[in-house]
Amino acid sequence: MIISELIAHLTWLAPYIGAALALLLLKIGRVRDYIAVSTLFLSAIFSTILLKEVLESHEGFLHYSYPWVKTLGINVGIYIDTLAVFMSFIVAWLCFLIGFYSLKYMEGDPGLTRYWFFFNFFTGSMLLLVLADNLILMFIGWEGTGLASYALIGHWYKDEEEKCVGDVGRTALGTSMFFTPSHSGVRALIFTRIGDVGFIIGIITLYIINGTLSIPEIAKNTEVWGEWLAVRGLLLPFLLLFSLGALAKSAQFPFHEWLVTAMTGPTSVSALIHAATMVKAGVYFMLRFAPIFYLISKLDGVHTYFTIITYIGAFTAFLMASQAIVARELKLVLAFSTASQLGYMFLGIGAAGLLEEFVEGFLASFNHLMSHAIFKASLFLAAGGIIHTVESKYLDDMGGLSKYMKVTFASTLIAALSLSGFPPLMGFWTKDTILEVVSKTGLLIPFIFGIITASITAFYSMKIVLRAFIIPPSHNVKHLIKEHKVHEAHPIMMLPYTILALTSLIVGLLWYFMAGNLNKAITKHVLGLEEVHMKFAVHIDPILTGLSVSMVLIGIGLGVIAYTGPTYAKFINESLAVNPLLKGLHNFLYNRWYINPIYYRVIVNGMRWLSRSIFKWFDTFIIDNIYHILIPKVTTLTSIQTFKVIETAGIDRGYNNLTVRITLIFSNIFRSIQTGRVNHYILIFIIGLALFLTFIWLI
Amino acid sequence: MIVLDTPLLFSTILVPFIFSLIMPFLDKRVSVKTIAIISTLTLLYSLAVITSLILRYGLNEGIVDPIHFRHALIGSLTMLLDSLSGPIAFSIALVTSFVAIFSLPYMKHRFEEMEKEGTHPPSWGIYYMLYVMFSAAMLGTTLSTNLIQFYIFLELTLIPSFLLIAFYGYGDRVRIAIMYLIWTHVGALLFLLGVVAIGFTTKVFDILNVGTLKFNMGIGEGLKDLTIPVAIALMIGLFVKMAIFGVHIWLPYAHAEAPTPVSALLSPNLIGIGGYALIRIVYILFPNTFSKASPYLIALALITIIYGGLMALAQDDFKRLLAYSSISQMGYILLGIASLTFFGIAGAILHYVTHAVGKAVLFMVAGTIIVQAHGLRSISKMGGFATAMPITASLALIGFMHITGLPPTLGLWSEVLIIWGAIGKIITSSLLTLLIFIAGLTIGIGISTAYAFLTMKRIFFGHVSEGHVKVTEGKWEILIPIIIIGVVGLILFFYPSLFIDPFRNFYESLRA
Repeated sequence: MIISELIAHLTWLAPYIGAALALLLLKIGRVRDYIAVSTLFLSAIFSTILLKEVLESHEGFLHYSYPWVKTLGINVGIYIDTLAVFMSFIVAWLCFLIGFYSLKYMEGDPGLTRYWFFFNFFTGSMLLLVLADNLILMFIGWEGTGLASYALIGHWYKDEEEKCVGDVGRTALGTSMFFTPSHSGVRALIFTRIGDVGFIIGIITLYIINGTLSIPEIAKNTEVWGEWLAVRGLLLPFLLLFSLGALAKSAQFPFHEWLVTAMTGPTSVSALIHAATMVKAGVYFMLRFAPIFYLISKLDGVHTYFTIITYIGAFTAFLMASQAIVARELKLVLAFSTASQLGYMFLGIGAAGLLEEFVEGFLASFNHLMSHAIFKASLFLAAGGIIHTVESKYLDDMGGLSKYMKVTFASTLIAALSLSGFPPLMGFWTKDTILEVVSKTGLLIPFIFGIITASITAFYSMKIVLRAFIIPPSHNVKHLIKEHKVHEAHPIMMLPYTILALTSLIVGLLWYFMAGNLNKAITKHVLGLEEVHMKFAVHIDPILTGLSVSMVLIGIGLGVIAYTGPTYAKFINESLAVNPLLKGLHNFLYNRWYINPIYYRVIVNGMRWLSRSIFKWFDTFIIDNIYHILIPKVTTLTSIQTFKVIETAGIDRGYNNLTVRITLIFSNIFRSIQTGRVNHYILIFIIGLALFLTFIWLI
Repeated sequence: MIVLDTPLLFSTILVPFIFSLIMPFLDKRVSVKTIAIISTLTLLYSLAVITSLILRYGLNEGIVDPIHFRHALIGSLTMLLDSLSGPIAFSIALVTSFVAIFSLPYMKHRFEEMEKEGTHPPSWGIYYMLYVMFSAAMLGTTLSTNLIQFYIFLELTLIPSFLLIAFYGYGDRVRIAIMYLIWTHVGALLFLLGVVAIGFTTKVFDILNVGTLKFNMGIGEGLKDLTIPVAIALMIGLFVKMAIFGVHIWLPYAHAEAPTPVSALLSPNLIGIGGYALIRIVYILFPNTFSKASPYLIALALITIIYGGLMALAQDDFKRLLAYSSISQMGYILLGIASLTFFGIAGAILHYVTHAVGKAVLFMVAGTIIVQAHGLRSISKMGGFATAMPITASLALIGFMHITGLPPTLGLWSEVLIIWGAIGKIITSSLLTLLIFIAGLTIGIGISTAYAFLTMKRIFFGHVSEGHVKVTEGKWEILIPIIIIGVVGLILFFYPSLFIDPFRNFYESLRA
C-alpha cells in the first residue's frame, strides 16, 4: 500500500523535483537536461503503474491524502478514478516524449535552464490538476500551468523578429497584428486569469454550500448544492462562472485569441502545452464536472448550460477552422486547428448533457481528446523538424520536402489524415462519434457547424501536407538543396513524432475491436457516472458516417485541387487581386474575423485611455490639486488675510496702537485736571461729594 | 493566553531602540560596514525572538509579556503577540532586517549621488539610527495592547520616516517629506480624537484587559450618540494611513521619492498597519458599527483595487508604479477585512505578509536598477534587462507573482482567502449585487495581472535597443537580501497553516 501511495504521489512530484534539480544543476548543461527528462520518464512510468493498479483494483479508484491546511480542509490529496488515470497516463507520456524531443530541438539554446525548469514545472502542475482530490489543489495546479505557459510562450524574450507571430507591420483596424513573444505571454496570462476568477469564485461557492472542497464529497452532495443554488436562481450563473476558467484555458470563444499568438513559444512548447495537454485542462475540467452537473439535469438552468456549451464549442470549431484556411505560417495553421478541435470536444461534452445517453457524449469527448493529443503533438513536433530544416516558419518557404524528409513526410501524412478524420485513422472514429452525439440532440446549427468544420479541417490538413512536402520546392528550399542543407530531422526528434503517428494509425486500425473494452475501462469508475447504464460497442450510423466521410473527401479533394493544380498559385493570387469579395473574405479571415483588433480597440485601448485620463484629469488635476494646491493656497490666503485684518489691523493695532492712544487721551485729561492749585482741588472735591450724595439720595 | 517568563516582546523593541541611539556616536569611530552590521543584528534579534516564539508556542493562544505598566490616566499596557499581530510582526521584522543589509550598497550609491549634486546629507550613523528607530516603532505599534501606546508608537514611526525622506529622498524631498508628515498627522489626529473620546467616556484606553487577558470587546458601542462619529473618525484616520481611495494622494509622492530601502519599508509594512489596526482596534471596540459599515467598506475596497491598478497602468516611473500598486493592494486587504468572515480577515492578514514580501522584493528590484543604471527609474527607458540581470529579473517575477497571487507564492493563499471571505459575505445578497461585485473583482484582478506582467515585459523583456540604458547584474550584497525575502514568501506557500490555522481561535473569540 505504501509503495503504491508513494508511486501515486511521485507521479506528479517527480517532475517538480526535476524542475528543482534543473535549477540546481544549471552549470552542468547536458547533465541538467538528462536529469530533467529522466524525471519526466519516471513520472510516465509511474503513471503507467497507476493505470494498471486502478484498472485492476476492485473499486476502480485510489484515494490518498495528507492534511495540509487544516482549517481550510485542504489536503495534499489525490483521487485517481479511471478518468484521472487515463488522463495522467496520456499527459505523462506526452510530456516525456516531447521532453525527449526537446533534448535535440532546444540544443544550444541560451535559456535552457529556464526552459527545463518551466517544462518540468508545467508537467508537475498539469498532473497535479488532473489528480487533485480537492478543488484548491486543482486550482493550484491550474494556475501553475498558466505560469509555465506564460514563461514558455515568452521563452525567447528578446523578441527577435523571426520568433514572432504575424506579419511585420501588418495592421487591422489600426491595431498591430504582429505579436512578440513577450507580448504574447502577457496576453495568454491575462486572458486565462480572467477566466480563473470565475473558476475560483465557483470553487468558493461550492465550499460555502457544502463545507468541503473535496471533489468526491461535492459529487456525492450534488443534489443538495444544486437545489440550494436552483432555489435562489443562481444555478445557471454558477455553472457558467465555474466553467469560465475552463473556457479560457481551452481557448474557447470569446477567449480563443490568446492561443493563436501563443505560437511564439518554442515548437516543443506549442506541441506540449498549446496542443496536447494544457489546453486540454479545460476539456478535462468539463469531463470531470459535466457528469456531476448531469446528475441534476432536471433542475432549472442545467439544460440551458449544456446548450450554451454546445453552441460555444460548435462556434469555436468553425471560427478557428475558417482562419486556418488562410494562415501562412505552418504553426499558425496548427494553432487554429487546435482551438477548433478543442471546440469539437466542448461540442461533444455539451451535447452529452442534453442526451439520455450521457456516457456516449462523454466518451466521444474524451476519446477525441486522446486522439487529438496524439496526432496534434505528432504534427507539431514534425513541424518543428520542418521549420528547423527550412529555417522559416512560412509555408511559402517550404515545398518539395517529401524526397528529403521521408519519415517526417510519412508521419505528417498519417497525423494529418487522422486530423482530417480520414477512415480508419483514430481521428476518424473519435470525431465521428462527436458528430453522432450532436446529431442526436437535434440541434441543427451546432450540427451544421460540426459538419462544415469537418470539411474545412480536411482541407487545411491537406494544405499542410501538400504545401510542405508535395508541391514544387520554393526558392528557399531550392536554395537550401543547393547548399545540401535539406535533410531528415535528427533521430531524437524524429522518434517521438513517428511513434505518435504510428500510434494514431495502429489504434485507428484496431479501434473497431478495442473501443468497446477501452470505453469500458475509461468509465469503470468516474465521479458522477456510477449509476448510468452504459453501452460500449462501436456502431456506425451509415447515413451519418457517409455524410461525414463525404465532407472529409470534399475537403481533401478541394485541397488537392487548390494546391497541386498546375495553376494554383496563379489562380488564387489572381482571384484575390481581382475579386473584391474574395479579397474582403481573405482579409476577414486573415485578420481573424477582426476579433483581435476589436478587443484591442475596445478593451486594451479603452483601459489605457481610462487609466491615462483618470490619472491626468482626476488623480492629478482634481485630487492632487485639491489637496496639494487648493487647500494649501486657501490656507495661505486665510493666514495672510487673518494676519492683515485681525492680527495687524485688529489685535496689533488694538493693543499696540489704540491702547496707547486711549491711555494718552486719558492721561491728557487727567493731566489737565492736575493744576496744582488747592482751591481747584477743593472745588472738585465739593462737586464730587455733591454728585455722590445726589446719587445716594436718588437711590 | 501564554504569559512569558521574561519580557521578550518588550525587548524586541527596546533592543533596537537603544542601539539606534548610539549609532550617531559610532560615526567616524567605526566603519560604515560595522554600523550596518550592528543595525542588522539588532533587527535580526527581533526577528529571531518573534520567529522562535511563533515556532515554539504557535499562535493558537496569544503570547503576552510578564510585565505591564499601569498609569492612572492611560490604563495598563503590555505587549501581545497573537494570531493577528504575529504575522504582521514577523513580516516587519523580516523585511526591516534584510532591507537593512540592502541599505548599505544602496545608500552608498545614494550618498555618492547626493555628494555629486552638492548636498551633504546627514551621516551614516544618523541614517541607521532613523532606520532602526523606524523599524522598532513599527514593531511597537503591532504589539501594542493600549490605544495610547499604539498612538505613541505610531507617532514614533512618523518622525524617523519623515526625516529619512527629508534627508535622503529624491526630487523635491523636503516639500514631499512635509506633505507626508502633514497627511499622516491629519490621519493620526483623527485617530487620536477618536481615542480620546473613547478614553474619556469609558475611562478605558486598554484594548486588552491586562488583568483578565481578555479583549475589551465592544466597549466603544457604549458611547451612545458618539459611537458612530468616533468609529468613523478612527476609520478615516486609518484609511489615510492605508491610502484608501480618496485619501491616497500623498502615497505616490512619499513612496516614490523616499530612498528606496525606506520605500521598501513604508510601502508594504507601514501602510498595512492601518489595515491591521482596523481589526485590532476598530473591530474589537466597535463590532456592531463595523458590521453595519461592512457593505460600504466592500464597495470602497473594490474601488480602491481598481483605481490603484488603473493608476499604476498609467505610470512611467517604476517606483511610482509600485506605489500605486500598493494602493491597489491595500484595497485587497480592506476587502478581506470588510467581509468580516474568518476567511476574509485571515486572508487580509496573510495578504499583509504577501504584500510585505512581494512589494519589498519589487522595491528592492527597483533599487537594484537604480544602483546599476545610475538612478534610472523611467520604465520607457528600460527594456531587455533580463539578459544582463537574470537574477534581478527572476526576483521581479517572484515579486509580481506574489502580488498577483500565482503559485508557488504565499500570494495564492491570501488572494484566494480574500475572495473566499468576500464571496461568503456577499453570496446571500441580490443577484445584481453579486454580479456587480464579481464583475468588479474580475476587472480588478485583470488590471492587477496586466500592470504586473506588462511592467515585467517593459523592463526585462524585448529588444535591447539603441537608446536604452546598459546595465549589469547587481552585486551579491544587493541581491542576497532580496533573495532571502523572496524565498521566505515561496516557503510560506507550503506552510500557510502556520498563520491561517491559529487565526480560527482568535476569530471565534471575536464572535463570542
